[in-house]
Parts: sequence; C-alpha cells; structure tokens
Amino acid sequence: MAQFLLRAEGLTKVYPDGTLALSGVNLTVRPGEVLGLLGENGAGKTTLTKILSGLLSPTAGRLLTPRGPIRFHSPKDALKMGIGMVHQHFALVDTFTALENVALGLGGISLPSLRRKLEKLMEDTGLRVPLDVPVEKLAVGERQRVEILKVLARDVELLILDEPTSVLTPVETAELFKFLRNLRDQGKGVIFITHKLKEALTVTDRIVVLRRGKVAGEVFTRETTAAELARLMIGTEVEIGRRPVELALEGEVQALAGAPSQGEPVLVVKDLQVRSDTGELAVRGLSFELYPGEIFGIAGVEGNGQTELVEAICGLRRVESGEVWLLGQNVVGRPPTELYRLGMAHIPEDRWKYGLILPFTVAENAILGLQRRFHAAGFLRAWAVRTHAARIVREFGVQTAGLFAQAKSLSGGNQQKLIVGRELSKDPKVVVAAQPTRGLDIGAAQFIRDLLLRLREEGRAILLVSADLDEVLALSDRVAFMYEGTFTGLAGPAELTPETIGLLMGGVKAEPR
Amino acid sequence: MSWLWRGFRPILESVLAGLIGLGAGALIMRAWGYHPWSAYVVLFKESFGSGYGLASALANATPLILTALTFAIGARAGLFIIGAEGMMYMGAMGAVALSLFKLPAGIHALLALLCAAAAGILWGLIPALLRAYRGVHEVISTIMFNWLSHFLAFYLVANVLVDPVRAEKTLSVAKTSRLPLLMRGTDLSLGIVVAGFFALLLYVFLWHTVIGYEARAAGANPHAARYGGVSPQKTVLLVFALGGAVAGLAGAVEVMGRPPTYAVYSGLTNIAGFGFDGIGVAMIGRIHPLGIIPAAVFYGGLQAGARLMQMEAGVPFEMVRAVQGAIVLALALPELTRILKVFGRRLKVRREQA
Repeated sequence: MAQFLLRAEGLTKVYPDGTLALSGVNLTVRPGEVLGLLGENGAGKTTLTKILSGLLSPTAGRLLTPRGPIRFHSPKDALKMGIGMVHQHFALVDTFTALENVALGLGGISLPSLRRKLEKLMEDTGLRVPLDVPVEKLAVGERQRVEILKVLARDVELLILDEPTSVLTPVETAELFKFLRNLRDQGKGVIFITHKLKEALTVTDRIVVLRRGKVAGEVFTRETTAAELARLMIGTEVEIGRRPVELALEGEVQALAGAPSQGEPVLVVKDLQVRSDTGELAVRGLSFELYPGEIFGIAGVEGNGQTELVEAICGLRRVESGEVWLLGQNVVGRPPTELYRLGMAHIPEDRWKYGLILPFTVAENAILGLQRRFHAAGFLRAWAVRTHAARIVREFGVQTAGLFAQAKSLSGGNQQKLIVGRELSKDPKVVVAAQPTRGLDIGAAQFIRDLLLRLREEGRAILLVSADLDEVLALSDRVAFMYEGTFTGLAGPAELTPETIGLLMGGVKAEPR
Repeated sequence: MSWLWRGFRPILESVLAGLIGLGAGALIMRAWGYHPWSAYVVLFKESFGSGYGLASALANATPLILTALTFAIGARAGLFIIGAEGMMYMGAMGAVALSLFKLPAGIHALLALLCAAAAGILWGLIPALLRAYRGVHEVISTIMFNWLSHFLAFYLVANVLVDPVRAEKTLSVAKTSRLPLLMRGTDLSLGIVVAGFFALLLYVFLWHTVIGYEARAAGANPHAARYGGVSPQKTVLLVFALGGAVAGLAGAVEVMGRPPTYAVYSGLTNIAGFGFDGIGVAMIGRIHPLGIIPAAVFYGGLQAGARLMQMEAGVPFEMVRAVQGAIVLALALPELTRILKVFGRRLKVRREQA
C-alpha cells in the first residue's frame, strides 16, 4: 500500500481581492486514517479542501499523488484520482430517489447493476439508505448518506467531509462516526473538517490545526487534549482593547462573570428559544442582560444560532418561547417598526438581504424603516427625505455620486456607512450590530469600530455579534461565547486566555466556580 | 448625473428596440415579397398622421392603459398579476348591470364606474387573500380566476343581463350611463381621460406616498421591506385592490364608451384580450404608470393601422399580425428579460429556504 493518498506541498492561495487565504500549507493524508482539519472561521479550512477536491486551483504550491505531481482542473479530475468531497450544502434532486441521485452524472452503468453495486457498498460500510424513496421524504441525516454514497459509488480512496455534523442530530452523528471508522478500517482515507473540539477528539486519528491560513500545529489525537487544541486554534496573541496583549493565564474554564455594569438593563433576554428556517431549535434557552454604556459581544463560530438570535431580538423572526424586554417592555411579537420607535437600531448582518434595497436610491434607502416619519397626509415629504439623506451622507462620509444614485452603485464600505448612518439617525438607546465590519476594507472597518466605541461613550447599549474574534475581544466590555444555541461562557475580555477562548468556542462549557 | 442617465436609458432602449422590431417586421414582409416601406407609411400615416387615426389609436389605448396599470403596479410590488383579464370581464358586467337601474345622467355613469371598480376588486380578493395568508402563487390563482370569470361572464351575458330583443348581446348601457364622445364620428370617449387620470394617480401613489414607497420596497427586496416595517400581507391586499379597481374600470370604459352598441357580445368577443394585451403594454411601458400611456397609444395605433395596411398596402391580415408581433416583442423584450431575471432570483431564494 502506498505511504500516502495525497500530499500537499506549500499550498498558497490568494483570492482576486487580495485576501491571503492560505500560505505555505503542507498536508499529508495517509490511507487508513481519519484526519481532522480544525480551525475557526476564516482559518482556511474551506479553501484548503476546495483545492484538494479540485474546485479551486492554488496560487502556489503543488499536490502529489503516489503516482507523482498532479493538477486538478475540476472536481471531476479529483474524482478520477479517487478524491471525493461531501459539501455542507447538499446537491440532490429532491424528487429523485436515492438510486437516481447516485446514477445522475455517473454514466455508463445501468440502474440494476448500480443497485447491486450500492447494495454491496451499503453492506460493506454499514451506511444504509432506502434506495427507492424520493430524497425529499428522507431525513437530513439520510440525505447526507445519499451524498456520501454518491461519492463512494465513484470508488474514491479519499473522502473529504466539510462540517458534516452541523446538520445532524446526536444519534445521526454517532452513526456517522461509526461509519467513518469503518471506512478507515477498510484502508480508505478521510478528511474530517470541524470546529468542534469534542468531535475532533472523538473520531480522528490525527489533527491538523489551521490558523489564519497556516498550519498552526499537527498532533496525534491520542496524545493531545482539548486545551492544547484550543490554544493552537486561537494562538497566544490576542488583541484586547486594540493593543496586542500576551495572555498568560492558565487553568480550567470557569464561570466568568465579566465586569458588572451600571444601572438598569435596557435589553433583557430571558430563556429565549428560536427556530431556524429548517425548523430546528437554533437558539436554546438564552438569557442575558444588556446595560447602557456597554458593548456586549457575542463571539462564536458562525452558524451556532447568532443569526436567529439577532433576527428574533429585532422582530424579524418568530420567538418560540421566552421573553425579550426592551426598555421595560416585553416586545415579543412586536413588528420591527415598533422596536425602532422604542429606541432600537439594527445593523443587519446581511447588507444586501435586510440592510438595503439595492435598486432604490441612496435617499430612499436612508429612510427605510423611518418612512412613516416622513409623511404629510400620506405623501412623502421629498424635501425632508432629501435633507435627511444628505445629512447622513455628510456626517458619515458616504462616497456616492449623489442622493439619487442607486444603492447598488456604492462600494461595500459606503453601503455599510449608509446603513449605520440611517440606524443611528433613529437616535437609538440599543444598537444591535451583527457582523458590522464583514467584508469591509480596513479603513471602513476601523471607522465602524470607532463609531461603536463612541456610541458606548455616549451611554448607548451595543449588542455586538461578530464572527471576528479579534473584533469582539477588542471592543467588548463583556463577551459571551455562543455554541449550538447556548452560551458556553461569559467573561470580561481580560479574564480570558487563548485556551479558554478556544475551549468555549469549541463547545466546552464553563464549569461553575 | 448618473440618475439622469437612468431616467433616459429606458426611453433610448425602447426607441432602439422599436427600430429593431420595425426592421424585423420589414424583413418578414420582404421575405414574402411585400413592400415594407409602403406598408409602414400606410400604418403610421393612418394611425398617427390624421385626427381620425389618432382618435382610433387613443380609443384602442383606453382599456389597455388600465389593464397595463394592473400588471405594472403588481410587478412593482413583486406580484405577477395575470388576472386583469378576469377582473376586466367582471368590471364590464358591473358597468352593464348598473343600467338595470334608472338614474340621472352623470351620477349614473359615476356609479357604474364605481360598481365596475368594486367588481374588479372583489374578483381579485380571493387570489389576494390566498397569496397573503397562504402563499398561493398569484400567477396560478389569477389564471384560474380568469377562467372562472370567463364562464361566469358567459352565463351573465346569456341569462341575466341579456338584451330581451337581441339575444347575442347584453343590454346596452343606458344613455345616462355612457361616457361622452370627445370627437364626433370617432370612438374616442371620456374614457381616455379616466385612464390617463388613473395612470397619473398610480404614478403619484408609487413614487410620492409612504404606502407606495412601501409597496415598491416589498417588490424590490421583500426581506429589507420587512426589516423596514412593511407588512407583506397588507401590501399584497392593497396592491391587488388597486389592480382590481383599474382592471374593472378597463371593462367599464370599454362598454360605457365604445359606440355603437355599448354592450358586451356573447362570447365576450368585443372585450376579450384587453387584459392580456395589457401585460404586453405594461412591458413596453417599462412597467411605469406614465410609460404605459405612450406604450398603449402606440399599441392601439398598430391595431388601428392594421386594417388599413391590409386594405391600402395589400398586406394580408395574418402578415400584419406577424409584423405587429415582431414589433411588440422587440419592445417588450428589455423589460421582459429584467422581470424574468427578478422572478428567477426569487424562485432561487424560495428553493434555498425550502
């Protein structure tokens, strides 16, 4: 048997916009092992696997198979070399059966013989799927198995799974792990991508930790601990209060209170439960309080319920149970405009989905959510709208061709400035800022961060939800870590060690002191 | 001055598209050995070159402006209302039904228009409720309601509103309820003023009122609209109501303002099609209430000129229709592609959410 299935040497990827996603990554996958790929958002996991599976080509570096160097031009090339990937988002035809979905694009094999092949495959791997039921009638876990079968039917030697457990129930996860071990024992290779420490420790044989596009460490699972992995994931240098601080504190994760704040809380969330679009509980009983003059940060890997939490607080998503008190009123079930009137502003995470109406003009976008304040007998007061928009453009330095330019003609940073300007024109007491600097250049991001700090000085309360760990740690008075719909810990940034942060983000709960 | 360019661009595009359409029509005629130049000269001289021709073009445009408004306001709010045809039948029935009563002139006509608008609104009510509260797609429901309306109107024409003397048509609209003609010897009635007024009204509504702003927001980005406090349900109901009202009026102005019979014929032959033609007109007019007016007049002119093209230039009627089709298609294409793109994107979003 070959010494390795696939080897990557010095992989570097620079995206067209100049982002350095990977720099000099070396990686070896051996037959008969499950290799874990661990890292937080933006560490380069996805980019790396896209290169390994032929979806992207590297800017520099090369891939080697036992037969020599190779270049993939498409996922098909990778499949030909026995490398197949199962993505987080399924690509199945809902109305087709499992058998038909596997047959799709396979070619050169009749359905009966494919059926025989799949039945043998299911026998060997223990991966059971009803072959003749339309995929839309299958549970999510079963659909994922269809995706895996699709890849296995192409006789792959190396299976890459991108965050496969994010959609699974605990039972389904356990079954998946059993199957992966099975596959390993048959001498195949598996790359398992995750940000969950426990899973990495449970199912893998070897773990490669990525941090900011580089390999931060490579360990054998037997010989490591959650704490070591957490430290590798986060690094030892974390910026706090906008100056880099060497963190030295060591020890157990403990319940950390964070600095107690002054006065009455302006936003109180009690036992909040919220469902995601797919109907699962995305927020599972969260409680917290937000005080005037503080920035309360919510950190965590994306997809752990942050989006649903923000939408529920801001009146855009149905609350399953629990309470949200805004300035002394329970606002569950109230429409967004009423929340704005009470003193809330919402800088949404997705500028293009919620924040702006792209074909509308700058002036029209400047009154979104405020439109009812600009009418006289039902008519829009054009002049008042224009003055209002002009003030936002001036005060926030929005670069635009004019007030009647379409919002889509603005750059990302200027779009965000327009949104932020509009939201602050509501003179809010509570600002919910979700991913406020995502995708912005450094200048614009700094502008927004300074603004949030200024709002804090003015005594407003800010709920900052961000996947950018440095940002949350640098700006927040208190930080909560969100994992699968709950907080794993709550602390003042100075109380945190890289290890603690990594453990909390990876789903290890803080123990009560 | 990019915003100025944005205003002019659609007009330039339309002119260019019109020229392309004329060129395509000319090629069609050429291929079958007719003389495009003389045919076009007849077409435009007769439809726009004389008072009588222009009056016919305007008369033809009258109901089209109103049905086009139905589609346009829907499209602006993100709804694809194909139901103007059915609403328009009901409007015509409502206008005729009021002639069962005796009322003083003027008031009679006004009430007939109101009744027609109400009938149109009512006909859109069920699709609107289904869309707002059950998510039933309005394309499906309004097409189904067109057929319901079609056969209901058949029944009403033959049984309830039938002319006791001439069984092939309904009662004629009472003299007190007719829209006065604006030009002797033509079909041009006060209806064109009604249509123009509503085009202006809907323009003001969409671009200068708060609710209109909200409706356009819901059409351009439903998520952002919800974020901005717009109720999707209320918007759907309101837009359907406005669309139903103008579509109902389209039926009314046709029966109340079109000499000589002022009635609906069995088989609905004299009103059928305005609703669907209105969709084409709305596209040509770039689904803008004010753009619809010239679009409808142009479309009406093509219809008026067609007869003469046949008589004077010797182009057979089928050929005239083909040429018209080429021109209309070319004109509608820019907006059509834009709408299909939006529609496709929305379907994609819906699939992702499923």
